[in-house]
Amino acid sequence: MNYTLRHTTRYHYSAPVTLCHSEARVLPRKTQHQQCGASELTISPMPQVQSERRDVFGNRVLYFAMEDVHQTLDVTVVTPLNTQPLGPLPQTSPAWESVAEQLRADSRFDMQLYRLDSPFIRRNDELAEFARSCFTPGRPLVEAALALNQLIYDTFEYDPSFTTLATPLSEVLANRRGVCQDFAHLAIGALRSVGLPARYVSGYLETQPPPGQPRLIGADASHAWLAAWIPDWGWLALDPTNGTVAGEQHPVLAWGRDYADVAPLKGVMNGGGDHQLEVEVDVMPLTDHSAA
Amino acid sequence: MTAPVSPSLLEFGTAGLVEDYLNQLGKGQPGTFDAMLDRQGQLRPGWQSLLSALEALGADGRHQQHEEIQRLLAENGVIFNMHDDIQGRSWRLDPLPWVIDQLQWQALEVGLTQRTRLFNALYDDIYGARTLFDAGLLPTQAILASPHFLLPCHGSQPSDRPAISFHGIDVIQNAEGQWRVIGDRLQAPSGTGFALENRILMARALPEMYRNAPLKRLAGFLDKYHRTLTTLAYQHRDNPTVVLLTPGPGSPRYFEHAYLANYLNIDLAEGQDMVVRDSQLWLRTLGGLQPVDVVLRHCDDAYCDPLELRGDSQLGVPGLLQAARASGVAMSNALGVGALELPELADYLPALCQHLLGEELLLPNADAHTQPATAPIFDHQMQRLSPATLNLRCFVSRAPHSVTTRSQQPSDYHVMPGGLAWVGTPGSPSLLSPVVKDVWVTANTPQPHVSQLRQARGPVVATRDGTDLPSRVAESLFWLGRYGERLDARARLLREALMRLMEYDQDEIADQLLDELLLALEITTLNHDGEGAKPPLIGFAQKRTALLAQFGERDPQALQPMFAHLLRNARSVRDHLGDDSWRVVHQLRQRVDTFNPSLGASAARRACEGLSAQIAAFFGLCNETMPHHYGWRFMDIGRFLDRVLGLLSLLKLTLNAPHSPGLALWEVVLATTDNFTAYRRRYRSELHPEAILDLLLFDETNPRSVGYMLKRLERQMDKLPGSSSPYRNAERRLLIQANAALHLADIDRLSHLADTPDAQEALEQLLDELIAPLNALSDAISHSHFSHVERPRQLVSMEPDE
Repeated sequence: MNYTLRHTTRYHYSAPVTLCHSEARVLPRKTQHQQCGASELTISPMPQVQSERRDVFGNRVLYFAMEDVHQTLDVTVVTPLNTQPLGPLPQTSPAWESVAEQLRADSRFDMQLYRLDSPFIRRNDELAEFARSCFTPGRPLVEAALALNQLIYDTFEYDPSFTTLATPLSEVLANRRGVCQDFAHLAIGALRSVGLPARYVSGYLETQPPPGQPRLIGADASHAWLAAWIPDWGWLALDPTNGTVAGEQHPVLAWGRDYADVAPLKGVMNGGGDHQLEVEVDVMPLTDHSAA
Repeated sequence: MTAPVSPSLLEFGTAGLVEDYLNQLGKGQPGTFDAMLDRQGQLRPGWQSLLSALEALGADGRHQQHEEIQRLLAENGVIFNMHDDIQGRSWRLDPLPWVIDQLQWQALEVGLTQRTRLFNALYDDIYGARTLFDAGLLPTQAILASPHFLLPCHGSQPSDRPAISFHGIDVIQNAEGQWRVIGDRLQAPSGTGFALENRILMARALPEMYRNAPLKRLAGFLDKYHRTLTTLAYQHRDNPTVVLLTPGPGSPRYFEHAYLANYLNIDLAEGQDMVVRDSQLWLRTLGGLQPVDVVLRHCDDAYCDPLELRGDSQLGVPGLLQAARASGVAMSNALGVGALELPELADYLPALCQHLLGEELLLPNADAHTQPATAPIFDHQMQRLSPATLNLRCFVSRAPHSVTTRSQQPSDYHVMPGGLAWVGTPGSPSLLSPVVKDVWVTANTPQPHVSQLRQARGPVVATRDGTDLPSRVAESLFWLGRYGERLDARARLLREALMRLMEYDQDEIADQLLDELLLALEITTLNHDGEGAKPPLIGFAQKRTALLAQFGERDPQALQPMFAHLLRNARSVRDHLGDDSWRVVHQLRQRVDTFNPSLGASAARRACEGLSAQIAAFFGLCNETMPHHYGWRFMDIGRFLDRVLGLLSLLKLTLNAPHSPGLALWEVVLATTDNFTAYRRRYRSELHPEAILDLLLFDETNPRSVGYMLKRLERQMDKLPGSSSPYRNAERRLLIQANAALHLADIDRLSHLADTPDAQEALEQLLDELIAPLNALSDAISHSHFSHVERPRQLVSMEPDE
């Protein structure tokens, strides 16, 4: 699929900000299934310093600093992007316990990075127990992971009013409700609690307007899912919010251990008072005809 | 029945220190290595002359020397330690140094340098290519789980600067006499200041012993480290600015930070004193932002940058890591080095050393089976030497000549010939140790005598015009002046009130003046209801309790809380105050610490008098010893601004005195402003309000008059930065306004004040015209000179709930 992504983050401050250092992860990364064209980046007001680097996860990080007094901040990125369909899922996979056992002594950085605790996700017995309803003894890894994905989709309610960034996983689990970020965190926590690596993926999802109505600009949203490690195959991307495998319809922005590693915009500022945040996201599919 | 007397005890006193010590060793640990005696019980090289000297002193002589050392230690503690006495070091310094002969030392030295080379190579891989993890050469899970392994530091160290230019390594000697490592200090390697202090104290307390010893001197090492720091700079390489980043007076290591900054002659800076702009680090000073080229970091990694590291840190500078990445500032050491302090690395080091350096690891870590060697320390009475376990912190620094290269040759590093030794089980924290020792590394050849250790650090003040004073320091000095004056004024009012309380300690003879003083002290208020109203007190007992409550801690206006403000500001500008002034602060603190509401009234009155005298001594010493730079001017402005405001509000209260419209209150005004004598000498008469007003308002020769104080403020403000501009800034305009009110006052209208309502009205109007602009003056000064100091905060809080 060809898409044009537009992602705008806008802050209005109640008091002037005199200095602000920011880090944005809004430039989509290239993946095995995704090619990105040059992003068109607009930051307003114009930052005095701006530089791009890769973080330890390979994400594109944009650092910028505003050194003049300002009262709004607007970051808009427009990126043309092409996603490829996923290859077929592996027909067979080893029993999940043998994978967990092997990885326990694995010293590879990328394996352990996504297998241990992270800022928002702590492994615990409660999460392990939740995982074991799908990870039954001897079950093939891929089958168990897909079952976990489906379990969350089937038994949890999508409820934006229930959680915030700070809601702990135990509450999400107890009340069986939350948003995409909570479901991704939950699945990751469950996988890690039985000794399996999983990472958090941030990105987008194309939404379909109701039949007969035009697409509304800015109506789409950021999305989040997870990926589980399948030995000799790769990272299997799962979207528990929709109960699907994340593939061609899921343009990827960045990944990390959890949300803290991929927050779209972080900053430290002087002044500012209260602020209001507006986020607008458009995932515009291009027909083959209009694709470049 | 009598207990049998051991032969060694019988001999004690004649047999000498060494035999006594040998006897103790023999009984305890046969075959264990001892620092002083070899296996034949003979003294090791370098100890003989020391022991002879200490033996010759005798127990009494040694005790005297020890007392002298302790006195000097306590003195330093007072001078540099802004902390409560319980925090920071509380050890004694043993008069017998730990002598390490050159051969033993060389073995250690080579191992230490190798370790620093290894750790530099390790850092480069862990935060760079990360090949060692996948090769199975590292404890991947332990590193990833460590809070000191910081993912944002990945790829952040520019390739032309070494990550580690200063390395603290804790070692012990094992029972075989081999050196073993206990741990590494890389984030904020402390202890150099203490090593230096111990050496200086030994040299002062035992000059003969010290001067004659062929031992390696410490001064050269720190001089070289200072050059290493300046060489790290990317810009301004001819004259770079180096600061020591400290977490501030709240840190238990602040003593050492102040001591070391002073010794190296570099600025002591807290995170809030600095800002990152244009990917460069800057120090906020009165003259604006000044570039900082090199940071000697004594703040833990994770707290250094709330943008990329711990978001809840108030100690760091937002954007610091980005500035380091962009070569906008060099750091000793790089951020992220804390991961290398992990104890789990120990088992992996032999293989890593082979892999990275192609060498055998010379200094392995101690393990659970390591038995420590013994070393002698004196007991409290300085009578006997007894065996103890010593820890030693050694210091390795990058040599200046190789600092801009990534070269990893042994000659690229220096080891301090000495270190901080403390008594305690292996790995016990140094700050909790009861006894420390100076460490003497013997030299084969006589060493150049550097007894002027303290003079070796060059000029103390290198500022040209003083505008490089950090804004925070200027602000703290300003508030130090204000709180000092406020405390003094309050102590004087309290003294007057307590005197009246004692004179009339019977309920029926109510003293109206006391009620006025309670108002002036804001212990009661004029309005009896509404928010913040404090009802009048009735009877001697109530008044007495209320007054003595001012010696407690509860009322924020009471003496102790007010002194706490003073002390907080004084501590944060410690390096700008003279040692003598600081001693007075220390005495003040000791005095205030004794305050409590159960003091008797007369003891309380005397306490007030003592307080006023000490505050005067403090400011007097400041005036005599501080350079009359901007810092001093801000303090003086703070003092006189607070004093003039205090006087004006007292005059206003007098004018409106509800209880005693007579003249008695004017006498109190004269007394509390210490003008009673001046008045008597000048007028030799009864009290006339007009005469008092003249003395307190207009007489510019009287240092307690409004006229004098305005003149003084004007003189100081004329010399502040930016005052040469042709446009008058807000604070100058406010002062002119106050001056105009005073000079244009219609003095005739003020006559017959006591019985003329018109005169009273004129005075009230005059006082208001003075109070309004002077009240605004403090904010105006803050705004023009200190306004940069503002706490940065997070755009989005990323702190998960625990």
